[in-house]
Amino acid sequence: MSEEEKFDAIIVGAGPAGSACAYLLAKEGKSVLVIERGVSAGSKNVTGGRVYTYALELLEPGLHAEAPLQRKVVREQIMMLGEQSGTTIDYVDYTYNSGDVPQSYTVLRAPFDEWLAGKAEEQGAMVAAGIRVDDLIIRDGKVVGVLAGEDEMFADIVIAADGVNSFMAQKAGLRNDITAHDVGVGVKEIIELPPEVIQQRFNLTGDEGAARLVLGCTEGTTGGGFLYTNKDSISLGVIFAPEGAAKRGKKIHEIFQDFKMHPAVYPLIEGGTTVEYGAHLVSERGWKGVPKNLYRDGFVAIGDAAGFVLNTGTIIRGIDLAIVSGIAAARAVLGAKDSAGVGPAYMQELENLKLAPTMKLFAGFPEIIDIPRIPAVYPAMASEIMNYMFKIDGQVPPKMTKGIWDIVKKHVSLGELLADGWKGVRNI
Amino acid sequence: MAGIWIYSEDTIIAQQIITLGKELAAAMQQPICALTINEQDAQSLIAAGADKVIVLKGNNLWPESYAAAIAAQAAQAQPDVLFIGGTLRGKDLAAKAAAALQVGLITDAQKVQFVDGALETERMLYGGLAVCTEVLGGMNVITIPPRAYDVPAQDASRSGEIVSVDVQTDATMAVGNVCPIVRQGADISVAEKLVCVGRGVGKQEDMKLAEDLAAAMGAEICCTRSVAEDYHWLPNEAYVGLSGQKVKPVIYLSMGVSGQVQHVAGIRDSKVIVAIDTNENAPIFAAADYGIVGDLYQIVPLLTEAIKNKA
Amino acid sequence: MPTIIACYKWVLDEQDIKINPGNLDLDTSRAKSKISEYDRNAIEEAVLQGEKMGAEVASLTFGSSNAKQSLKDALSRGPGKAYWVNDDLANKADAFVTANVLAAALKKIGQYDVILCGEGASDTYAQQVGPRVATLLGIPAITFVSEMKIEGDKVVATRKIGDCTEEVTVPFPVVVTLLPEINKPRIPSLKQVLGAAKKPTTEWSVADLGLTAEETTAKNKVKSVKGFVMSRKNVIYKDGAPADKVASLVASLTKEGVL
Repeated sequence: MSEEEKFDAIIVGAGPAGSACAYLLAKEGKSVLVIERGVSAGSKNVTGGRVYTYALELLEPGLHAEAPLQRKVVREQIMMLGEQSGTTIDYVDYTYNSGDVPQSYTVLRAPFDEWLAGKAEEQGAMVAAGIRVDDLIIRDGKVVGVLAGEDEMFADIVIAADGVNSFMAQKAGLRNDITAHDVGVGVKEIIELPPEVIQQRFNLTGDEGAARLVLGCTEGTTGGGFLYTNKDSISLGVIFAPEGAAKRGKKIHEIFQDFKMHPAVYPLIEGGTTVEYGAHLVSERGWKGVPKNLYRDGFVAIGDAAGFVLNTGTIIRGIDLAIVSGIAAARAVLGAKDSAGVGPAYMQELENLKLAPTMKLFAGFPEIIDIPRIPAVYPAMASEIMNYMFKIDGQVPPKMTKGIWDIVKKHVSLGELLADGWKGVRNI
Repeated sequence: MAGIWIYSEDTIIAQQIITLGKELAAAMQQPICALTINEQDAQSLIAAGADKVIVLKGNNLWPESYAAAIAAQAAQAQPDVLFIGGTLRGKDLAAKAAAALQVGLITDAQKVQFVDGALETERMLYGGLAVCTEVLGGMNVITIPPRAYDVPAQDASRSGEIVSVDVQTDATMAVGNVCPIVRQGADISVAEKLVCVGRGVGKQEDMKLAEDLAAAMGAEICCTRSVAEDYHWLPNEAYVGLSGQKVKPVIYLSMGVSGQVQHVAGIRDSKVIVAIDTNENAPIFAAADYGIVGDLYQIVPLLTEAIKNKA
Repeated sequence: MPTIIACYKWVLDEQDIKINPGNLDLDTSRAKSKISEYDRNAIEEAVLQGEKMGAEVASLTFGSSNAKQSLKDALSRGPGKAYWVNDDLANKADAFVTANVLAAALKKIGQYDVILCGEGASDTYAQQVGPRVATLLGIPAITFVSEMKIEGDKVVATRKIGDCTEEVTVPFPVVVTLLPEINKPRIPSLKQVLGAAKKPTTEWSVADLGLTAEETTAKNKVKSVKGFVMSRKNVIYKDGAPADKVASLVASLTKEGVL
């Protein structure tokens, strides 16, 4: 074969999934080409967010110590906002930090993704950045390569790691274009603050960190907010369903600004300087949003391209699942006897590595999150209950059972409450 | 008494730099010597303040060809500093002369001072983001932007030494086809009032908004680099920025301009800067005296009306 | 076969540079590097002209060790080989030093018919190195070129000098500095990006070039580099109905006497 360059594997996208897969394949001596659309790995990616370290250790023991990570999370927080109030549950658990490998770290994508892609390059993978893959090359029903501009590149396997609106998965016929129902729109700012200030405001010592999910900040639309403490900045953002936002006539940046200015939120970021803005789509369907087929002959989809994002309302996971799926694909490629065997082997690895069972377990959660009263009613209701419980003005308050019940009745009917409860129980 | 030397192929610019020369001459206790390739301008240079004028007589009309000759003169006389008018021709000549003399060259000095026995210059770095202050060692060539200084008052009674020197000029380059660039529109670098169009103006048809506003204000229209070079809605001579025009209007009003440093570098001498943009975090607002955060399609027509009604 | 050499500078991306609000120092810690904008035009022009006339095209840069990444970038744009004077001296070099180093490197390369440079670097924009190199090599320089053709062994270039254009014809060897309007650099294709890794690179240190200490010492001392902060009034009308904001603005501008 003269001019036609052929690789063992071409990976489209140098995010965590693509880089993890490239790392393992290259380490085992396979010729790997990673094609990244952005000017550098990570430049097109946005996260809340944090990474769970088990995934890094799965890729390579000791890797977490090399990675550019921010703070190790010891505080897991949930916040519900009322109009002028907020209820925050703060769970601090130092066992998350004990042992050699802390459970999770907050992370900034640009340095993290670049580092992971660099590790793949160290192992011998070629990473070509600034190039967009326009199409798959399919011959006799098999995916044999990719087309980038006018250049054709061939490979035994093409691995789609090109993110939430995967064009490669669409070209392969594994999924259609995403609909507004499938995704949330996330917007985020990175707000710089001195480390001491962050430590004081969140009650942290040294390089400990806090992770917080917020409800009631999306002005009634399905969605929620998040806040993660980085070393010298705070990642603050909001994700919500685009249809709902459009119906309410609210612009995304307006909702986000209101969130930032909320009296329970603003003091946390006061004095900080916004140094970065980001926006990105987030897969919201969970397991039900994962395409029925994640492979075809010569092709597999991993990471966000396969829909591997989990939102349980209390935690959000994406990066670890991406890395695990990259590992699964690499193992499948390394172990399969022929190209037709890679797909099934990949699905098996997703089971072995516990990714598929985990996603199936939480398959019903999007239904819960979709309950319209969750963003629109319950946070306000909770706030009002709290307000009632802590209000002392010298008057005689209603009896507690009646007081609380009156508040509940004001926001929701018994039938609605039961229906929501039932939905919750059914889907958990 | 090596002297403060000044050269420009444009005598007016040379005279402007004599204003700077006079400031420094007092501090440095040095005479001012102007070089010119235009024999007939020698007297005016004396009247402007030069103590001596060296007329370079070559047989070439092309100003750039005098680089070696000027360098040779400087090598002989060893002036403390050689100022060259910062036209494009001047910068070309300045670099060649500096290389021939193997001395430093400060391009587009915004400020030149004599401090503690040495010359100090300020110039912009990183597209206008930063200011670099340097202390000069030994003879340096410094280019001064045109119109940075005013032409000094002419004193016809002044006398000075005028010498003529025959020089060899560089003839390897054949220069022909000199065509004036026909200016489409006004010279924005001398405009009193400017309305600036940025990429926030979506379509070329929307330029009308700017035109109406400019008409109401009595202003000329200019733009950012991308509007000229990428969209071609206005000629290249109309863009303001580090590599384009520098403007000094009494009022500069921008619409849909984000305010990148390279653009702001061209407007910093404006008396009043006004910005209209939808993005409240756009850098232009940090560089503005006044501004409105809003949709220019709404704001500009209202503004045009309000200004018309005022009059 | 004629040789065209494009010189480029590996600079910090000014977009990533922050100004420390306290002391106005520059914070370059987050800054990525890039091939200076106008130098990309120079590389592109070298490649375009090389394609047209069948010439050998090479890139040349003077940069410290972090300029290594620039080689892949430059080569992916089309030159057949890259020359790199790899020396930490580059971090302290001014145009005087850079020109001395580049001229010495070009002499070492030996063959140069057309040397292309950008009009100025995006960090310093001193607009000197091109003509300086030419003078040091004893060859002509054509500056501020918006269009160029190569006819046989001559360069025919159109210069844009403010209020006029002129056409200049010069035989090889010659230095040409280019305006950004000369071309629009093509985005390297996948094959070009991959191919870059296979092209030859020659690396020298300044010591290999036989320059004197004086030739490699900057002429002037940098006293300070501070962020430029325009202190303007910053009266920005954000809230309220458009008509109200406009009225407030008009009132302010009237008071300033500029309307």
